[in-house]
Amino acid sequence: MEGHQRNLPLYDRFNARVVGVSVDDVTTLKYWAKSLDLTFPILSNVTGFLGPYFGVGPSPEIKGFPVFSRRTVIIDKKGIIRYVKDGSPDFKDILLFLKKMNKEGRSDPTTGGKP
Amino acid sequence: MRRHIGMLACFVGMAMLISACATPETTKKPYKMSQQGTLIWNDEFEFKPPPSEWRVVQVEVGGEFGFGFLRADRGPFPSQSMFVYDEEPFGCSGELGERGDEFFKRYLWSTAMLADMKILEKEKVHVLGGEGVAIVAESKDPIKKEKVKSKVVFGKRGDRVVAFYLTQWRTMDGTYDPSAFEVFDRFWGSFKYLKKSFYQTLVEDP
Repeated sequence: MEGHQRNLPLYDRFNARVVGVSVDDVTTLKYWAKSLDLTFPILSNVTGFLGPYFGVGPSPEIKGFPVFSRRTVIIDKKGIIRYVKDGSPDFKDILLFLKKMNKEGRSDPTTGGKP
Repeated sequence: MRRHIGMLACFVGMAMLISACATPETTKKPYKMSQQGTLIWNDEFEFKPPPSEWRVVQVEVGGEFGFGFLRADRGPFPSQSMFVYDEEPFGCSGELGERGDEFFKRYLWSTAMLADMKILEKEKVHVLGGEGVAIVAESKDPIKKEKVKSKVVFGKRGDRVVAFYLTQWRTMDGTYDPSAFEVFDRFWGSFKYLKKSFYQTLVEDP
């Protein structure tokens, strides 16, 4: 998450916003975000209902405990999932993808040239 | 027999754990010596290399640091010194002083040191062709009876903060060896970039 925080100016440059999703409760996330000086939104998904929308489920290795695997998902302005990668975020890969999407957006006539 | 198998499994487990933490020099060397006696790493970094008793270490996957050098020091475990170059030091701030404060909140957390790092010195330095901050800190763990002294130098590569850091581990009654700090100072003092970083290229290219 610190990596995302460091990259916020670059995400902004490529017209992207970052949101974290966790199964921890709001209070825990509030203190956790504060300890890492995070300024972007972290969503509390305690029931895990958001997981299936992004293909993320409880880790099969830990039975009966709501530990979700890590996944990075990039969604475009039309709501289409364009990028999915499991494990720790590959920040360089993410930035290159966002740069490419931003370029596509600039040349997309349906958006009126607005990325 | 069962005891022998148990011991063997234990050794294999320890070896796997050690190899997961820091991978020693691999067969394909990512560095070469220049005619001037400097070391060129991946055609990207150039610096004065440490003496031969320092071994190259690098983390290849999801590492906490890029590469560095390790020296086994005289004395009982955990007597050793290691210094590294880190492109993504802990913390988020682009301001050097603030980044230092953020950095020490999490620095060495994975070693499970009981005590917090105590800042001993903090000074402005010239590093990477610009202004930097050097911090010397120490931590003592009375339970493990171990201590560590560290020097961290923060500088900038483009807009981003990078760091060099040295850790020297000792038993509680051990004495620190200043020669490692001198080698480390030559390392970061001579460090140069031979090409632009990924982030610099990312924002410059159309």
